Amino acid sequence: MKALKKALSFRDFHISERIGLFLFIVICLAFPWIVKESFARSVMIDFLIFCLYGIGWNMIGGYGGQVALGQSKNVGMSAYTVAMLMILWDVPWCLGAAAGIIVATTESFVLGYVLFRLKGHYFAIATIAVQLIWQQIFINWDWVGGNRGLELPIKETPNFIYMQFESEVYYHYLALSLVILAILSMNWFRKSKLGYQLRAIKANEDAAESLGINIYWAKVTTYCITGIFAGLGGAFFAVYYMYIDPYSVMHLELSILIALMTMIGGAGSMWGPILGAMILIPLDRYLGSWLGASGFVGLDFMLYAIIVMVIAACEPRGIWGIIERALIKRGNTNGSIRSI
Amino acid sequence: MILNIIVNGLLMGFVFALVALGLAIIFGVMEIVNFAHGEFLMVGMYAAYLTATILPVDPLLGLPVAALIGFLLGIASYYLLIRYLLRGPMLAQLLGTFALMIFLRYLAMFIFGTDYCMLNEGILIGKSCKLGSCILPYGKLGAAGLSVISFSIIYVILHHTKFGSALRATALDTEAASIMGINTERMRAIAWGLGGLTVGLAGALLTNFYYIYPTVGLLFTMIAFTTVALGGFGSIEGSFVGGLIIGLVETVGGYYAGPEWKFALIYFAYFLIVVFRPQGLFGWSR
Repeated sequence: MKALKKALSFRDFHISERIGLFLFIVICLAFPWIVKESFARSVMIDFLIFCLYGIGWNMIGGYGGQVALGQSKNVGMSAYTVAMLMILWDVPWCLGAAAGIIVATTESFVLGYVLFRLKGHYFAIATIAVQLIWQQIFINWDWVGGNRGLELPIKETPNFIYMQFESEVYYHYLALSLVILAILSMNWFRKSKLGYQLRAIKANEDAAESLGINIYWAKVTTYCITGIFAGLGGAFFAVYYMYIDPYSVMHLELSILIALMTMIGGAGSMWGPILGAMILIPLDRYLGSWLGASGFVGLDFMLYAIIVMVIAACEPRGIWGIIERALIKRGNTNGSIRSI
Repeated sequence: MILNIIVNGLLMGFVFALVALGLAIIFGVMEIVNFAHGEFLMVGMYAAYLTATILPVDPLLGLPVAALIGFLLGIASYYLLIRYLLRGPMLAQLLGTFALMIFLRYLAMFIFGTDYCMLNEGILIGKSCKLGSCILPYGKLGAAGLSVISFSIIYVILHHTKFGSALRATALDTEAASIMGINTERMRAIAWGLGGLTVGLAGALLTNFYYIYPTVGLLFTMIAFTTVALGGFGSIEGSFVGGLIIGLVETVGGYYAGPEWKFALIYFAYFLIVVFRPQGLFGWSR
């Protein structure tokens, strides 16, 4: 009950943040009525999926400062679980998604249990290694489709049991409700004991330990929560695209993109992943389709890389860091914005 | 048969050691992990490839070109990017070098396309000799030999010259080194230059028997990480021994488990190393 209250209370938000959140939700709700073009709608859904991934990653990567670059293996495991259950036994999406989340979270737990004995660079590279091992396994594992990927069985539409619809509008609202759920959980997380512990760990691990925080378990628990959101994202991805392969859900590049996106928006802030996705995903899709059509492969990625390098070098707190500074400079806050 | 595989693995291992050397130097001097390391290698490969195809000369003459370009690339990335990253938190450092990796990779893809290239002519290409029951391709033999020579030269420079002492002093304690009158900023830049130079050389050597394509880098980045982790981060000797072990794991493991698993084996080896012995074989615990 208390947790719910924390999740629903936005009292410590700055007024401009409250307006921002309100506008964000209103625009997302109204989007399918305003925009009829199917490409724009699919970009919007991609944006929502990436918000979900980013909000999850932000907990461990942004708040905890633990650079875990393996988010996409959890996305992939959940997506594969949903797909395989649907193919083998016609399991409805809800149950499949629940199973997928359990698989993703279990994997996070086991991996966190083993890997959080490491710190800093060792941890980051170890997560990449694990990601690459899973990637190799799924590419070579014929039972789950191997290289060719999996196609989900097509049912009659509209179908709420298997979440299959003709129109993107349904998917839009499904994704939006998941994102709102994620935002609320984030709001709870940053005010919870765990959230404070993680921020203490990020600031100074030794000091946090001397205050009596069990840093190991705090990290493992948060990593599991991260796994839940990756799992949710994966379950949605599978049913939205109806086709998954190791390159779309199990790839290191997805993991990196999630981290880069959060970094651009502002790692360790509530708005970071949303701002990051708002910039990167439309840029990626529109630039990708525009440049891809004119034969300039890779220019879009070069552009991101430059943005990330500039941000990493000049303002490691990302775009949110810039906004926050501007708000404080204008003096219309009492010293600090607390929604970090 | 098995002897042949082991010998080939060791030859590959000498090249891996050279690839990892640069990463070990950079990490030793400033504790930053360069994710773009494999992309530096890719740049070296393309430098050697272009020298060999445009000028038409023997690919071996691409070695100095690749070394020079690698050196300049290392220095340039230090002054334009890494210098600023070092001020920020670790997340920014990691993702900053990641972004450098993505930039170089897609720049290569933009310029050269996604095709695989391979050199067909050269003193060392396509020939092999027989030694007992072992078949030794000249390409690998030459690459291994030149790797050992380059490795020894760098080792001697680091351990027996004034410059090497300054670099190692910077690695041990930057502040104390700067009090002793060492220009630590320049030492760091040179460490990046040396890192680029060695990996550029390794890239040029690999062109004698390896495909060249824009995304080749990540694989070698991971191999270099594994090698350096095995030897101990920051340890030069460690990266040599680590390289040999990884070469063996790749070829022998690939032979028994099937070639599609050989890289997964390397990643798995890395995983085991960092979990059970994070300081590596020759490293000190941090």
